[in-house]
Amino acid sequence: MSDAALLARDTGRRLADADARGLNATLHWSQELLDREAARLDAAPVGPLTGLAVALKDNIVTTDQPTTCASKILEGYVSPYDATVVTRLRSAGALIACKANLDEFAMGSSTENSAYGRVKHPIDPDRVPGGSSGGSAALVAAGVTAAALGSETGGSVRQPAAFCGVVGVKPSYGRVSRFGLVAFGSSLDCISVFGRTVADASRTLCAIGGHDPRDATTRAGAPSMRPMPRSDLRGLVVGLPREYFPTDLHPGVRAACDATITLLRELGAEVREVALPHSAFAVPTYYIINPAEAAANLARFDGVRFGPRQIGQDGDIRALYQATRGAGFGAEVRRRILVGTFVLSAGYADQYYSRAQAVRRLIGDDFTQVFASGVDLLFTPTTPTPAFKAGEKTADPVQMYLADIFVAPASLAGLPAMSLPIGRDGGLPIGGQLIARDFDESTMLAAASVLESSLDALQEVR
Amino acid sequence: MIIGAAEVRHVARLAELAVAETDVPTLATQLEAIVAFVAQLNDVEVPPGAGAIVVGPDRLTLREDRVDPIPMSRTPAEMAPAFRDGFFVVPKLGGLAEG
Amino acid sequence: MLWETVIGLEVHVQLKTRSKMFCGCATSYGETPNTNVCPVCLGLPGALPVPNAEAIRLGVRGALAIGCSVHPTSIFARKNYFYPDLPKGYQISQFDKPLATGGALLVDSPERGAVSLSITRLHLEEDAGKSLHDRIPGMTAIDLNRAGTPLAEIVSGPDMRSPGEARAYLVTLRQLLIYAGVSECSMEQGSLRVDANLSVRRPGAPLGTKTEVKNMNSFANVERALESERLRQIALLESGGQVTQVTLTFNATTGEVKPLRSKEDSHDYRYFPDPDLPPLVLDAAWLEAQRATLPELPAARRARYEAVLALPPYDARVLTQEPVVADYFEAVVVAGVEAKTAANWVLGEVMTGFNDTGQFAVAPVRLAELARLVADGTLSLPAAKKIFGELIVHDDAPAEIAQRLGLVQVRDESALARWVDDVVAAYPDEVARFRGGEGKLVGFFVGQVMKKSQGKADPKAIQPILMQRLDR
Repeated sequence: MSDAALLARDTGRRLADADARGLNATLHWSQELLDREAARLDAAPVGPLTGLAVALKDNIVTTDQPTTCASKILEGYVSPYDATVVTRLRSAGALIACKANLDEFAMGSSTENSAYGRVKHPIDPDRVPGGSSGGSAALVAAGVTAAALGSETGGSVRQPAAFCGVVGVKPSYGRVSRFGLVAFGSSLDCISVFGRTVADASRTLCAIGGHDPRDATTRAGAPSMRPMPRSDLRGLVVGLPREYFPTDLHPGVRAACDATITLLRELGAEVREVALPHSAFAVPTYYIINPAEAAANLARFDGVRFGPRQIGQDGDIRALYQATRGAGFGAEVRRRILVGTFVLSAGYADQYYSRAQAVRRLIGDDFTQVFASGVDLLFTPTTPTPAFKAGEKTADPVQMYLADIFVAPASLAGLPAMSLPIGRDGGLPIGGQLIARDFDESTMLAAASVLESSLDALQEVR
Repeated sequence: MIIGAAEVRHVARLAELAVAETDVPTLATQLEAIVAFVAQLNDVEVPPGAGAIVVGPDRLTLREDRVDPIPMSRTPAEMAPAFRDGFFVVPKLGGLAEG
Repeated sequence: MLWETVIGLEVHVQLKTRSKMFCGCATSYGETPNTNVCPVCLGLPGALPVPNAEAIRLGVRGALAIGCSVHPTSIFARKNYFYPDLPKGYQISQFDKPLATGGALLVDSPERGAVSLSITRLHLEEDAGKSLHDRIPGMTAIDLNRAGTPLAEIVSGPDMRSPGEARAYLVTLRQLLIYAGVSECSMEQGSLRVDANLSVRRPGAPLGTKTEVKNMNSFANVERALESERLRQIALLESGGQVTQVTLTFNATTGEVKPLRSKEDSHDYRYFPDPDLPPLVLDAAWLEAQRATLPELPAARRARYEAVLALPPYDARVLTQEPVVADYFEAVVVAGVEAKTAANWVLGEVMTGFNDTGQFAVAPVRLAELARLVADGTLSLPAAKKIFGELIVHDDAPAEIAQRLGLVQVRDESALARWVDDVVAAYPDEVARFRGGEGKLVGFFVGQVMKKSQGKADPKAIQPILMQRLDR
């Protein structure tokens, strides 16, 4: 049996185990497709991702598996083309393992909004894995695949990475092609990666990054993301933005952050407090811009050219639209569409959408100033709390939105950011966030790698 | 109070989204809470002339004028919920009538 | 003047590109439905737009040709509305930062003479598909081949004061856009489409309520539709009624406008910058190069024909109406034909054929050969016109055709003398009258000799022989 065939068989076994455990982390996979992937790899040259099985969030389109975005409106939909990242993963030698569950159209922070059932936290089934890329995070945390692709719009990879205790990296906006990612908030969407280690996440990200002529928002001629190996953090200035360490921060999260800050100093970094005053407005800004873009992006799901269709009562086209969309979209998607339509509608656009664009600029300017002052990296908690219980925040959309309070600013500013495990509280993982200069993934990943090995050493000592 | 039942119905119509009458009050309450939450941006001091942020490239790269369609492994007929004689088929336009 | 009419026009033209505005599908007309489509123009999940450089270039050249300022930075925006032939549920257009603004056209108004009519803006956008309502009973059929075709929308100011002036504006605009090579501008094929806004007022009063008129498929129908709407509004106001803001459609068969069903929601397009497309930034040097390489526009060409080629104003105007005609004319001149002679040919035989077929059947060099045979006396003008008709069918040397058809002018004195003698013998009464002093009868004799020779006699050579015989 070839190495690829073995990987396909093992991956299939682990996927079956995860299903048997009731994680509900996948929306589609089959042993037959895994074997076909293996046959393809056997015929292909060795690449940087040879031997790596990768799960895909199910909002990344594939021709050989359905793409549902965890929505009924795409039930049974199979794309006639592959996303650019899928093509790149394959040519780098990766084995595509499965399509992972998510919040419907990536709208959510707990993966409770899937039309195909919620994803369970691999450590505590009563808790959420975070979201919206909860399926991808849970698969990597449960050891099913070594890496997974998710997508970020406002923290949808970093937040579940923190909850599940894995590494989650969001690149700079424009680094990875969005061609074939079902659009949610187009000015924010970034295909991002999960890995069990910084190294797995890094090599996966490097394989999918780069300019794509099919996505006009990707940047050509950008510096490499590849981390330069280093043994310590000497020469790096790490900023601690005070707005990200509020007095009511969860004590377990605070303790893990404090320990990490001590470690940063021990590793030779210069640590200094900085201010990002407009970050406090990131969540409300995000919840104007994102629904506005989402409402337009989801207009194409109209039951005319693809997907299921409902014939409305009146039998005319508007009845068809309203019935198809009314039945196809879940509660959170409907809320976002309505909010997004409202904030752009006549009489309100200036007060909401234009205002949010201006504040988004101020949030970005804060980062620019801090990085211009000599800071190389920012360190913050990824989330205000460890993984919360399922159902805890579903009744109050705004409380759910606030789960993204520390991750939304970097999304709005388009900056590279990542979460890595920095400790545990009551058995639940805690994530620490690094944010870097625009297109400086290299420094961020190198520092994360140093931090990761030191944290591992500490864990073993304890 | 910014969002009442009338706004919910109006916005739902703009978005071509069926909303059951029984859902309108709950949606109005939720939307009101969200809009009240995001309205805190009105307290932010915005310097005049602050343009919008541009993430990603700061200017467009254009495509050469070549006929080079992205290949599709499935045809429109295979994807469409209703397709006849080479056309996508929808009901009459009714309330949308106009050119 | 009791009522003043105020008209503004919105003109959409398809840009002459090989591929669509935001994807690599072919732009086509009349192909099998839903075959020139891809994930992008079908609006499939995950697809993204990438703009066509040539569409941008043509938009810029069109804007320059109509005197607009092209902005170094413009923004693509999403115009949101649902319609089954609009795949994404929004149209990519330009809104508050269009490609170009502030142009003007010098138009020959039927009522006011030369007037300058302002152009508010030119912006780029993508076309929608087609909805066919009579194809499948009880249903609407959607063809998305046209979806994503590049368009320029040109919006005029409310500057026109009559339906005839609106037509004159369209003629001038079309001429300029064809000159600049931007669009085919064929209303028949849908590559030029017109929507009009019209209101009436008492002179000096503020603008009245306007209505929008759509579905006019020729320039003549634009004029008819606007005339009908103008009269409808005036009649309404004079009977004490009020104009309401509606969209009307023109029925070419009845010549009437009628309101379309009004919508329950007024338009609320919720424009916002398209996050899939960074700002369109044009280099100053590139823009300058576009300006420098614009072809000579009709006004300049007309002036040159009058000043340099000494053509009468009428000839200059008609020759420059379409660039292909002017180009043909110039090719004939370059091939060595005197300008006025070339103009006569082009405005006569050549245009007749061109108007019928849309093509030039005779190459300019052939026409020049033919004209030279007239100039050196080998052919009479009627004979040359006969040969022109032959040239349309057979591309042979005109001299050979002349030989074959026996149309070469006879200048041989003995042959001419024989015909003259026959004519003098056949008309003794006329000869007597001529000799009695009726000098104008000479024309009659020349005509008879020509007839006798079946048009082959050289009229200039006939006269001396004729005079010699008659003087006897």
